[in-house]
Amino acid sequence: MRKLAQNRLQDNLRQSLKYLMLVFNDFFILALIFLFGALMYWYAQSMKTMPQGRWFYRPLVAVLLWLPLLTGNLVTLLQEADLQFLLPQDEQMGQYLTPLIKYSMVLPTLLIALLAGILFPFATLKAGLAPANYLLFVVAIWLAKFLQLKITQQNLYFGRKISLVLVNLVLLVVLSLAIMQPVLIWILLVLLVVGIIAMHCILKRKTLFDWRYAVAQEEKRKNQVYTAFSMFTDVKEKQVTIKRRKYLDFLLPRSLAKENPNRFLYRRSLLRNPENLNLLVRMTAFAVLISWLVQNWAWALGLSCLVIFLTAYQLLPMADEFDDNIMYRVAPITRKNRGRDLIVALSVPMLLQWLIISVSWLLLLPLNLQLWEAIGLLICFSILVVQLYLPYKIKKRKI
Amino acid sequence: MLSYKMSKFIKRKTGNMVLKIEHLTGGYTGVPVIKDINLEIKPGEALGLIGLNGAGKSTTIKHLLGLLRPQKGTIVLNDVELTKQPTKFKQQVAYIPETPVLYPELTLAEHLELTMLAYQLDEQTAWSRAKELLKLFRLDDKLDWLPVHFSKGMKQKVMIVTAFLADTSLLVIDEPFTGLDPLAVANLIDLIKKAIANDKMVLMTTHVLADAEQAISNYAVLNNGTIEVIGSLDEIRAHYGLKSSDAFDKLYQVLNQEQQHA
Repeated sequence: MRKLAQNRLQDNLRQSLKYLMLVFNDFFILALIFLFGALMYWYAQSMKTMPQGRWFYRPLVAVLLWLPLLTGNLVTLLQEADLQFLLPQDEQMGQYLTPLIKYSMVLPTLLIALLAGILFPFATLKAGLAPANYLLFVVAIWLAKFLQLKITQQNLYFGRKISLVLVNLVLLVVLSLAIMQPVLIWILLVLLVVGIIAMHCILKRKTLFDWRYAVAQEEKRKNQVYTAFSMFTDVKEKQVTIKRRKYLDFLLPRSLAKENPNRFLYRRSLLRNPENLNLLVRMTAFAVLISWLVQNWAWALGLSCLVIFLTAYQLLPMADEFDDNIMYRVAPITRKNRGRDLIVALSVPMLLQWLIISVSWLLLLPLNLQLWEAIGLLICFSILVVQLYLPYKIKKRKI
Repeated sequence: MLSYKMSKFIKRKTGNMVLKIEHLTGGYTGVPVIKDINLEIKPGEALGLIGLNGAGKSTTIKHLLGLLRPQKGTIVLNDVELTKQPTKFKQQVAYIPETPVLYPELTLAEHLELTMLAYQLDEQTAWSRAKELLKLFRLDDKLDWLPVHFSKGMKQKVMIVTAFLADTSLLVIDEPFTGLDPLAVANLIDLIKKAIANDKMVLMTTHVLADAEQAISNYAVLNNGTIEVIGSLDEIRAHYGLKSSDAFDKLYQVLNQEQQHA
C-alpha cells in the first residue's frame, strides 16, 4: 500500500507540475513579481508611519497566519475504481495515508513560512511580540495544520465526522486569544500536541474505512484544484457537473413550434453546462470590473468590445459538444445547418451580456452623451460579432 | 373502383416495406468483424440476434445505425438506403442501447421533446402517448428531473420510453433486459408484442432467451462474424444437433468450440 501511495504521489506531482508550468508562465511570473514588489514597498512605507502597539495588532497577526490553514486539504489520491479494487484494504489505509499526509503538509508549510517571514517585522516591532514567542506561535500554527489533517483523516473512517468548518473556527478563536500572552502560547502548544496524540490513538482504533465518502471527498478536492488551474489553462481532467438551474428556464422558448433539435440542445447547454455559463458570467463580470476601473467611456467601450469578442470566440466550441453522444448520432438530426442554429442560440445571451454591461456603465461611469453613444456602439459591435464574425468562423471550421 | 385503386396503392406501398441487409462486411478500421451478413425483416416481424460476446452482434447494430461505415454491402429500409439518405433512413429507426446514453443537460421532459423534434412528431399526440409510456414505467412524476442522476434501471426506462415514442417502423434493441426490474421487463415485452402487431419491425440482441422468447420467435445465430442459421429455436437446435432434452445453453458451448477451431 505504501508503494501504491508513492506511485500515485509521483504521478500526481508530475501532473501538478505540468499545470503549474502552464499557470506560472513568463508573463504571469513577471506580473506577480511586480505585484509582490509593490506590496512590499507599500508594506515598508507604512511600517514607518504606523503607530505602535495597538490592541488589535496581535489578533491581526493570528488571523493572517491562520489563513494558510485553509489551504491544502488532505490529498488522498483515491480513485473511483478503488471502491472496487482496494475495498478489502481497510486496515492498511493508515499505512497508505502516512506519506500522503506528509505530502499534504508541504504546501501549507511553505505558505506558513513565507507569510511568517513577511509578518516578522510587523509582529516583533509593531505588535511587540518577542522573536522567540513569535517563532513558538508559528510552530503552533504548523501543529494546528497537522492536527487539522489528522482530523480530516479520522473523518475518512466510519464514526462521528468532525466538521472542518467548526475546527477552523475554533482554531481561529483559540489562536487569536493565545497570541495575547506568551504563557497562553505555551499552553496552546501543549494542547495541540495532546490533541495530535489523542487523534493518533483514535485513528489506531478505527478500522472501517468509509470508502464512498473518501472517494467523493477526493473528487471534490481534485475538482477544486482543477477549477483553479482552469482559470489559466485548459484542464482535460476536469469533470463537468451539469446543474439544473430551473430559475433560468424563463430564457428558453415556451413553444417547440419554431425549434429544431440543434437549437434545442444548444440553448440548454448554454444555461446548464457550467463551462459555458461560467464563461459568460465571468467575461461579463470582467467587462463590468474593467469599465469601473478605467472610469472613461472610450476605454470602457474598447475593452468591453474585446470582452464581447472573446466571449463569442470561446463559446464557439459548443458547436460539436454533442458529437460524442451516440444518441445524437443515431437520431435523425441534420448537422448541415447547425452553425446557424448555434448563432440563433447565442444571440440571446450575447444581447443579455450587452444589456448588463450597459446598465453597469450607467451606474458606474460618469453620465454624459458620449456614454449613450458608447452603449449604441457596443450593441452594434455585438451584432457584428454575432452576425458576421461567427458565420465566418463557422464556415471556416466546417461546423 | 376507388377501393381497388387504394388497395393497389397500399400493396405497392407495403410491397417495399422491408429492412434488407445484403452482403454486409464491416468492422472497425480495416479488420472486418462481420463478414457477408444477409438479413431481412418484414413488417410485423421480429428477429433476435444471438451469439457469444464478440460474435459481432453490436458491430452489426452499429452498422445498421450508421455509426460505422460498411466496407461492403448495403443496408436498405423501406426503399431508403442508409449511405445515400442517412437522415431519412434514421427517421425510420429507433434505438435502445445496451447502456443508457443520455444528454446530461436535458430533463426527462426535454428528452421527450427532443425526440419529438428530431423525429418530427406531432406534439399533442406525441405527448399523450408519452404520458402513457411514462405511467407504464412509473416515471410520470419525474418529468422535471435530470435523468443522468437516475439509477441504471430508470435510465434504461427513459431510453425505452423515448424509443417507443419515436414510433418508427424499425426498432433496434440491444440487450434490453439487464438492470430492468421484472415488472419493467414484462412491460417491455408487451410493448414489443404490440409493435409487432402494429406491423413494425424489430431487431433485438439478447442473451436472456427466456424473456425474449415471449415476444420473438425467429432468431439468427451469429458466430465468428457470420450468420450460421436463421430460424425458430427448435430449428436452431436441430441445426446444431442438440437433443430436445438438452438445455438451450448448450448451444453456446457448441459456438465456443466452433470459435476455437476456426
